Amino acid sequence: MGEFEVHRVRFFGLVPAGVRCLACQPRGGRLALARTDGTVEIYNFAANYFQEKVIPGHEARSVEALCWAAGGRLFGAGLGGDITEYDLARLCAARALDGCGGPIWSMAANGGGTQLAIGCEDGSVRLFQVVPGGIQFERNLDRRKGRILCLSWHPSGTHIAAGSIDIIRVINVSSGQTVQRIMVNYHVQKVKRECIVWSIAFLSSGTVVTSDSFGRVQFWDWDRGTLLESHTVSTSAVLSLAVSENEDSIVVGTSTGATYQFQLLPVKMGSLEKRWVRTKPFQHHTHDVRAVAHSSTALISGGLDAQLVIRPLMEKMQKKGYDAVLRKFTFPHRRLVSCARKARLLLFQFSQHLELWRLGSTDETGKDGEVLPLCRMPEHLVQLKSKGPEHIYCSCVSPCGSWVAYSTASRFHLYRVQYEGDGVSIEKVPKVPKLLLPAYQLQFSSDSGSLFVASHQGSVHVLQLLEPGGCKHLRTFRPPSGSSEAVYLLASSADGHWLATVGGDWVIHVYDLKCFKHHCTVPTYSCAVTALAIHPVTNNLVIAYSDQQLFEFSIPEKQYTAWSRTVQNCGLHKAWLERDSPITHIAFNPKNPSHILLHDIYMFCVLDKSLPLPDNNTLLMNQSTLKQLPETARQRQLHAFKICKKFQPLLFADLLDENCLVMVERPIMDIKTQLPLPIQQKKFGT
Amino acid sequence: MARRQKAAAADMRGPAAALLGPASSEDEAEEAPEEVSFAAGREVADTERKRVGEAARRHRQLLKEKRRRHQELFAEQKKRKLLPEAVLQELAAAPPARRDGRGQAAAADRGKRHGGKAAKQKQGQVQRKGQGQRRVKTGKQRKGARSKGNYMAVCLKDRSLPALHQQLAKDFLNTHLYGPDANRAQANEFFSLENKKNPVKGAAVQFVDKSWGQEKKQRATRFKKRWLATRIKN
Repeated sequence: MGEFEVHRVRFFGLVPAGVRCLACQPRGGRLALARTDGTVEIYNFAANYFQEKVIPGHEARSVEALCWAAGGRLFGAGLGGDITEYDLARLCAARALDGCGGPIWSMAANGGGTQLAIGCEDGSVRLFQVVPGGIQFERNLDRRKGRILCLSWHPSGTHIAAGSIDIIRVINVSSGQTVQRIMVNYHVQKVKRECIVWSIAFLSSGTVVTSDSFGRVQFWDWDRGTLLESHTVSTSAVLSLAVSENEDSIVVGTSTGATYQFQLLPVKMGSLEKRWVRTKPFQHHTHDVRAVAHSSTALISGGLDAQLVIRPLMEKMQKKGYDAVLRKFTFPHRRLVSCARKARLLLFQFSQHLELWRLGSTDETGKDGEVLPLCRMPEHLVQLKSKGPEHIYCSCVSPCGSWVAYSTASRFHLYRVQYEGDGVSIEKVPKVPKLLLPAYQLQFSSDSGSLFVASHQGSVHVLQLLEPGGCKHLRTFRPPSGSSEAVYLLASSADGHWLATVGGDWVIHVYDLKCFKHHCTVPTYSCAVTALAIHPVTNNLVIAYSDQQLFEFSIPEKQYTAWSRTVQNCGLHKAWLERDSPITHIAFNPKNPSHILLHDIYMFCVLDKSLPLPDNNTLLMNQSTLKQLPETARQRQLHAFKICKKFQPLLFADLLDENCLVMVERPIMDIKTQLPLPIQQKKFGT
Repeated sequence: MARRQKAAAADMRGPAAALLGPASSEDEAEEAPEEVSFAAGREVADTERKRVGEAARRHRQLLKEKRRRHQELFAEQKKRKLLPEAVLQELAAAPPARRDGRGQAAAADRGKRHGGKAAKQKQGQVQRKGQGQRRVKTGKQRKGARSKGNYMAVCLKDRSLPALHQQLAKDFLNTHLYGPDANRAQANEFFSLENKKNPVKGAAVQFVDKSWGQEKKQRATRFKKRWLATRIKN
């Protein structure tokens, strides 16, 4: 098969931001997630929980509440005091309206998604109407002292329950008056600290559910103002609460990282009286769980440890299969590392800066599994800080290593890098063509002569790079039938003839760069594309979808290749289809045209098209067994998928030259030690 | 002999001792009380009173001294805080000289601006003359008027009201999540619990802190670079 020298890189210091808010789209199968640095992400449940859209954050933007309104519109509000609408087609924060109440702590949409209520720092609840162009201020409801930390509409839209410090208020929406005021601290004796109501939910039966900083989940009757039930689930605060649509199940998240499910169960078999019982405890997180959501079949929680955990509920699943498995997402589903193969450089993309590193080198050789000493250490060549408070959308380094480009929401920067001996000098290319920003993906051509810029509405710009340090806009390609979504993946062929693009509508277009026209469209598949690459020799387009399907499309012939049809007929191995993370990068070996190199977060695979495909009875990950077999027996058991799980979690893997691979890993413990502090756990004997 | 010793001891104590308290030994208790004249007694009382009075007076004097010193210190600090005498006087006399002051200030500004440019000889002469004139004028101005036009009002970006609200909100959140009541543990402690509880005990997660001895390591690498460079030269 092959022996490779592996550059094992662990100096990419990525620390993902913690999850702050979650919002399930009511009837759409999408999940909106906001992080503490202002990034908003959309996950598509149907496409195997693929992270289909990412809107990078902003230094001044903090998101404290997210909600979906009518028409699939997403609104967020934060401590900056503004209500922002996010444009999901253009992947940016579209319009912002000042709430006029100071920092906004909470926001909730009514049942129909036509009105938004915000809870502000000054203690007022304000109503806004969702209108086609944006939102419009409607009126202020009753204002009392004390910041409103959480809000919930009654399903009928007549009342709003608001949680503050030590107090819960119920406000009548039509009159705007507070009709009930409940003291949460009343029952606790000898208490010196204040009780903060972190989250609240209003059920249609008139029960108000609250979770507070003493670790209690309490059920109140809002009409009489009495406590119905109180459950103490934790010694630390219970930070988040979510109710299912049927109102028979509640999930809460605590500061220790534990989540609990409450269910409304009959007291005795067959009796009509029902009571809320704490049923399932889960410990999926190590840090505070500040956001939970309840979809129709799963409990979703997001913690400050940057993990999103989706736990399907067994009673809602028809059969035990891969659908019922726990899903944990820590790393983004897109590439944050670019590699300049000839120059052996890596470009790391952080949220506000870029780092350019040169790989080390070694003179020695060794056997399988040996660690070789370095004769030259990896060097941190350049650190480029992005100007301004906006976060970086995308970045790229050219294969020769002399051009670096990145884009933020309103700026596009191109730099020329010169290497003199051991030193590096970098200068900005001054006159960059004015394109409609932001650029969602950047890709240099393999001869480093052009730069492809992915833009909105399915269009791609081709910029020609001029030698001493200049740039000229050559052409813009648009899909023939038009598109409203932004392009998020690009792939160009090695001979500079073809360019493939994928937009948010999941349609792959191939453009002819020599004749400057649209060449063909790949037949549509019902799932999102996660990685795309064009083979240097055969010009076959290899496509990886988020449901782990693989296709190979021949661009000159405009049809799927024979190998691809074989794969579809036999079907892929069950263990391959049941992988948790999507394939984010595809590479090729010019010396072996039948090899395809793929990787996802937990495995690296070399796919050999000349070998037979495994069927469901054979072992998929058989590399270790093959090593122990003698040569003749090995030949019988070889199959096309050669998978290596030694390097995990893998952020990027690529082939530098014939015998050299680079693997960029990010150990999870390195991330966890740099996060905010977790709650102390006292264990006996330590 | 014991009695003589006791008597001597009694003498040493003096007449006052005879008045104060009963004698300690049983022998002395059997004897009749000593005769002390009224004068002696009064003397003793007087001296006692005087002693106590002196002590109290000295104590009062001490406190008075302290108070006086503190007062002086405060007065001096207060004086230090105020602007120097000259400026105070100026400011006191300022309002009447306002109108003249403004015109003169404008002229002074123009003069300063002209002075800033690169001067040709002719201009230089004019300037020097002008400066001379202006010097007189500014002299006058300095005596009577406030310093005008020497400041610029700037709006500081991070002291705006919304930013202040946002900072307060963030502080509230931090105090309640990470404040003194929060019971948080360091990352090293938290993640090393597993290693401690495992059947095969392991080291702490951050057993070796990479930031130890940073300076020494940096000096070592620099030295190595220099040494290699000299070797290569040779």
